[in-house]
Amino acid sequence: MAVFMQSLLSGILIGGVYALIGIGLTLIFGVMRVINFAHGDILMVGMYLTYLAFTLLGIDPFVSVLITFPLMFLFGGFLQKVFINRVLNAVAQNQILLTIGLGLIMSNTVMLIFTSDYKILTTSYSSSTIKVGGGVAVSTPLLISFLITSAITAALYWFLLKTDTGQAIRATAQDRDAAQLMGINVKRMSIIAFGLGAALAGTAGALISPTYYIFPQVGAVFTLKAFVITVLGGMGSVVGATLGGVLIGITESLSAVYISSGWKDVVVFVLFLLVLLFKPSGLMGKSA
Amino acid sequence: MRKRFLALGATLVLSPCLLAQKIGVINTMTGPEAPIGENITNGIKLAEEDLLKKGIHVQLVWEDDTGKPQISMSAMEKLATRDNVVGVVGPYTSACSNAVSKLAEKYRVPLLIPAAAKEEITRQGLKNVFRMNAPADKYASSLIDAATSLGKPKSIAFIYENTDFGTSTTKTAKEYVTKKGFQVVADVAYPKGSADYRSTLAQIKSKNPDLVFMVSYVADAILLMRQSREVGLQPQAFLGAGAGFTTAEFAKERAISENVISCTQWTEDVNWPGAKEFGKRYKTRFGKEPSYHAACAYASMIIMAETAKASGGDRTKTRDGLKAGKWNGIMGEVQFADYDGFNNQNNHQMLVQQIISGNYETILPSRFATKKAVYPFPKWK
Repeated sequence: MAVFMQSLLSGILIGGVYALIGIGLTLIFGVMRVINFAHGDILMVGMYLTYLAFTLLGIDPFVSVLITFPLMFLFGGFLQKVFINRVLNAVAQNQILLTIGLGLIMSNTVMLIFTSDYKILTTSYSSSTIKVGGGVAVSTPLLISFLITSAITAALYWFLLKTDTGQAIRATAQDRDAAQLMGINVKRMSIIAFGLGAALAGTAGALISPTYYIFPQVGAVFTLKAFVITVLGGMGSVVGATLGGVLIGITESLSAVYISSGWKDVVVFVLFLLVLLFKPSGLMGKSA
Repeated sequence: MRKRFLALGATLVLSPCLLAQKIGVINTMTGPEAPIGENITNGIKLAEEDLLKKGIHVQLVWEDDTGKPQISMSAMEKLATRDNVVGVVGPYTSACSNAVSKLAEKYRVPLLIPAAAKEEITRQGLKNVFRMNAPADKYASSLIDAATSLGKPKSIAFIYENTDFGTSTTKTAKEYVTKKGFQVVADVAYPKGSADYRSTLAQIKSKNPDLVFMVSYVADAILLMRQSREVGLQPQAFLGAGAGFTTAEFAKERAISENVISCTQWTEDVNWPGAKEFGKRYKTRFGKEPSYHAACAYASMIIMAETAKASGGDRTKTRDGLKAGKWNGIMGEVQFADYDGFNNQNNHQMLVQQIISGNYETILPSRFATKKAVYPFPKWK
């Protein structure tokens, strides 16, 4: 039972961070219908920002979210304004090529600057735990990152549901042309949406760095995960991405214990296929 | 492209000494395994300097395989057909070496593998494939023998990455412990680069094994030990087979690396001729501690170049020279012998070491020991 609880708990905690990555991707897709293949690389940039803040300025990885979030927002907005906006009306293949290209540029630039060495952040709490009872222990950094993730997700929900800008973003996501006719500046909404997506990915990177390792190609792992999460939850659905992230986290964790570590990705993808088979639009997606 | 230009530049500079031996190097210079590949690169650079001092000019053709077997294979094709090298030193990882070994045989290019562990590589009866380091079976047997000589462990848990290196090392380890009457309580292969091993480790903890045997590269080694501490996994000993558990980066993480037992092909405090000097030179030159890979690569390059020179750059003669020769240097005595189903395999003496006060100290065999072993593993703080 302790093993079950332990793996369920670590699954939920990891899933929280996955959700953050998925929400970023789904937000970008929802508003622009652009599939962002550079999502993992944006996350990687966030990791390196955290690494720099930690090694050069001595800022704790979790505190550095305060810097990473706005910086990555600006970075995302810049990418949108300079690159993505130009291909919004192009065929999907061109959009995909553009984002893949941007991702490659990011990972290779980082590799030139930092080399491909692994960086590991060692903080005072890196391997500390909090005992929950019943032989179950929770990793302190994972717990903190889960709490921050929850706070950010809650703030994002509030922003999207209650503020004018948030509603304008949702309106743009629902129907771009209609939104424009209603006087919404959709270009601006796109910039905000991409900025937010990048900021969320970057924040996820910052939150993972104390428990994971950092290297320029780390993005690929997370781009794939982000896709599974978003498609599973329903493309464009923020609630779906949250749900998808936690679901994937739990599935990975439980299947590593009860089936085999080596097979956990298989289990995740089988689950993914099953969901698509019975609900092609994803868990929270509206059927087209 | 840049490499091409460098090679071209090197050709122009070296063209006066046309007698230079052209030797290929396949190594993992970028990608996740690059930090270990760097040791190999540096070892070879030092070998190049020493060869020059001995009057042996070598012209090295560097190829980066990024740790991927398919790239490694195309590098080998290029070296064998386009660059016409006398011999090749490399590649680093087991998966790459295994793939490349068949090509070496096909093109009859002598291949000297410095540090890949998978046993099968030198068990295929290939005439052109030589290996410097001790293969995986030695990792396992030397570690388990160390544990049984220090205490009375009865059960063991295996956790290893699901690559050639991990599975092959663990397979022989399992055979060995079954023969010794151990009970295998867990056997877990994990995919490289997972963020979370906690659930797996918690499961292993519930089986309460006396020994935990791990096979991983650098970053995973650190994560595994961190998370072992988190879940409170407390065996009599953590045994780390090679690679990730024998690097300076790992030792630096003192909170989790202290008292971990690992085995290695080489340390600078063994009394093999030139080992100490090599360690010192490496540190002053590159500002880092050398790993055993550096020493293996150094010795491999020296042997390959000397043999190539002696055989006048002929591939077949070089191969025969490698087979017949005997050397003594920083890796101790080297001879490529046939034994226990191996071909052209150097029967290398493994060293068992433990991290004590942040340093790797040799604990076995006793004639090389620098410190007394700490056993059992102290309670996590």
